[in-house]
Amino acid sequence: MLKIIIPTIMLMPLTWLSKKNMIWINTTTYSLLISLISLSLLNQPSNNSLNFSLMFFSDPLSAPLLVLTTWLLPLMLMASQHHLSKEPLIRKKLYITMLTMLQTFLIMTFTATELISFYILFEATLVPTLIIITRWGNQTERLNAGLYFLFYTLMGSLPLLVALISIQNLTGSLNFLLIQYWNQALPNSWSNIFLWLACMMAFMVKMPLYGLHLWLPKAHVEAPIAGSMVLAAILLKLGGYGMLRITTMLNPQTSFMAYPFLMLSLWGMIMTSSICLRQTDLKSLIAYSSVSHMALVIVAVLIQTPWSYMGATALMIAHGLTSSMLFCLANSNYERTHSRTMILARGLQTLLPLMAAWWLLASLTNLALPPSINLIGELFVVMSSFSWSNITIILMGANITITALYSLYMLITTQRGKYTHHINSIKPSFTRENALMALHMTPLLLLSLNPKIILGFTY
Amino acid sequence: MNPLIFTTILMTVLLGTMIVMMSSHWLMIWIGFEMNLLAIIPILMKKYNPRTMEASTKYFLTQATASMLLMMAIIINLMHSGQWTITKVFNPTASIIMTSALAMKLGLTPFHFWVPEVTQGISLTSGLILLTWQKLAPMSILYQISPSINLNILLTMAVLSILVGGWGGLNQTQLRKIMAYSSIAHMGWMTAVLVYNPTLTMLNMLIYIMMTLTMFMLFIHSSSTTTLSLSHTWNKTPLITTLILITLLSMGGLPPLSGFMPKWMIIQELTKNSSIILPTLMAIMALLNLYFYMRLTYSTSLTMFPSTNNMKMKWQFETKRITLLPPLIVMSSLLLPLTPMLSILD
Repeated sequence: MLKIIIPTIMLMPLTWLSKKNMIWINTTTYSLLISLISLSLLNQPSNNSLNFSLMFFSDPLSAPLLVLTTWLLPLMLMASQHHLSKEPLIRKKLYITMLTMLQTFLIMTFTATELISFYILFEATLVPTLIIITRWGNQTERLNAGLYFLFYTLMGSLPLLVALISIQNLTGSLNFLLIQYWNQALPNSWSNIFLWLACMMAFMVKMPLYGLHLWLPKAHVEAPIAGSMVLAAILLKLGGYGMLRITTMLNPQTSFMAYPFLMLSLWGMIMTSSICLRQTDLKSLIAYSSVSHMALVIVAVLIQTPWSYMGATALMIAHGLTSSMLFCLANSNYERTHSRTMILARGLQTLLPLMAAWWLLASLTNLALPPSINLIGELFVVMSSFSWSNITIILMGANITITALYSLYMLITTQRGKYTHHINSIKPSFTRENALMALHMTPLLLLSLNPKIILGFTY
Repeated sequence: MNPLIFTTILMTVLLGTMIVMMSSHWLMIWIGFEMNLLAIIPILMKKYNPRTMEASTKYFLTQATASMLLMMAIIINLMHSGQWTITKVFNPTASIIMTSALAMKLGLTPFHFWVPEVTQGISLTSGLILLTWQKLAPMSILYQISPSINLNILLTMAVLSILVGGWGGLNQTQLRKIMAYSSIAHMGWMTAVLVYNPTLTMLNMLIYIMMTLTMFMLFIHSSSTTTLSLSHTWNKTPLITTLILITLLSMGGLPPLSGFMPKWMIIQELTKNSSIILPTLMAIMALLNLYFYMRLTYSTSLTMFPSTNNMKMKWQFETKRITLLPPLIVMSSLLLPLTPMLSILD
């Protein structure tokens, strides 16, 4: 695992020592190389984990997330080039350093064995993200957004720290490799109910669960493009990953403790999808769509069946790529018109036809068109929740319909129709932007040929 | 002040604390406290104006009262045990009075009212000595009598201090008052774990002193005593704004910085002793502290705060000498990976 972590750390001296015209080239190239190294982790020989040492391991759940993380860094760097072009050199280097630091913490989080180490790195990812949002965001609301982001997550995760330490006192070790073999049922008592709550709330806030999602639209909208990409693609998945890991320790309380959260998620996914139909702000629409997709993942994780775990893992990877691509597309609009209002830039298909193709593909994967992996994820979740309770099919079906509605609404508003006359002088699409979209779409399309690698450890 | 006299007075302050920390006779300890108090009054009053006079008077009155309470507890202890050696305290009344006296010296709630006002009235360097060095002597006595302290009283004072330190600092814009409330909250964390594992109190004290030293050094460098004047540093030295950001986040207890280490260790020690709600409450109250540190970072480092054009072209005076700033910054932010080393303390 050090073969991935040390090169990522060394990206920081690379940034600071590069010449002015080479910083983007150097960092993008080397981060692409690092993502190629991480691809070798996808070769998971069995259902057990690949243990690299006592401190790092990767199993069929964390390997795809790790590959997604390392794949995203060059994409983030490519996406940020335009809005940082006017900044002084030191600030550009600081930005890249923040992204690299975030990347290092994320890699270590996804491969940590010791749960306290996972917690420390989980919290550590907050600091660079906060700095990226508040320092390089564009509107005054970014300060409030940073505060909401930081404090919602911290309020949820401080009880997790206490819970992890008390579990360590009870069972003697928090090393995940031991815990997965050594699980005993938690006795049924009030304090264990609070233990369940303490463990899960951190990840619920991070996912986010419907009632605790207030930070997400603020943070996603105010963040610069790299911040939005990493938030949508990876940081939300940290919550899902944490839940998948920690529910192994929390039986049998999950069978009755999960009901309130299942209700909130099922209702929340309909609510947030419906809100998407009323949004005027493009990034806000994509942010609420993230909440809706993540609510599906919460439902899947709380049901705890093999198919639902497969669906959750596939949905996390698929949503990561799709959501990040949608944010890149929204950003290409924002860079041209400096406004996030959807109706301000309409009819782009006439002016930027290739970009319209990418918009089409992204919207189609967002609404889970077969045979994309988004469909595989959603389908598995719908099927497993139907087997858990027949009534959920109504809500799931309604959600799929509304998702299709707002994805097509977004596509038609931005691409079709007559273009607004004030945008007929926008710059054509850069090769960089097309490359960015292609690099997002290619893994998505290729994975639909072999989805086995993203189906997680219950395949 | 005449340098020779200043050195003598400073040495007397050091000597007073040393006498407190190294004596085994209760009378010598009291003498050490008094020596410390008398010698620090001229240091607090380095600038001679009514504000510092008021601050020094408040400090003198509270500390003298605390010393007298300490003396009474010592005499009660003498009456019940017949000896002056400092070991555990043999009488619960004496223990309670002693704990209250030492809490008054440290600035724990409900005896915290003097800390913000005294810290605000004195210069930044004197404030630095007040909030770091002056805490060493009472803490060392608390460490030595820790087996016999009444748990209820100490824990109540600790939790109330964390609350007061958090809520009191919310409405402040003066940096010295912010540091004072931060000191009250940190003292609360330190005394909460005193009965369970005094070594962690010392660890927290060490890291707190390093972080407070760093903060004060940064404030002294930019000669700023209000949030507004601190927000002008991006005009003169943008590097200082980054350092302020890192140190403030470390004081707030965010991983992966070293300010997280004492909080983590204290929560671990408290949960090992089967109190679960208490550390959860303490940790959540520490978020209040984090809020006003974040407000400071927002005005200083994370935004280019609006300033008049005059501020953008300030005179560049000769840089004040800041002692040991790089090692202090490193230690106050990067010590977390060294946590396994703490096992040698057993």
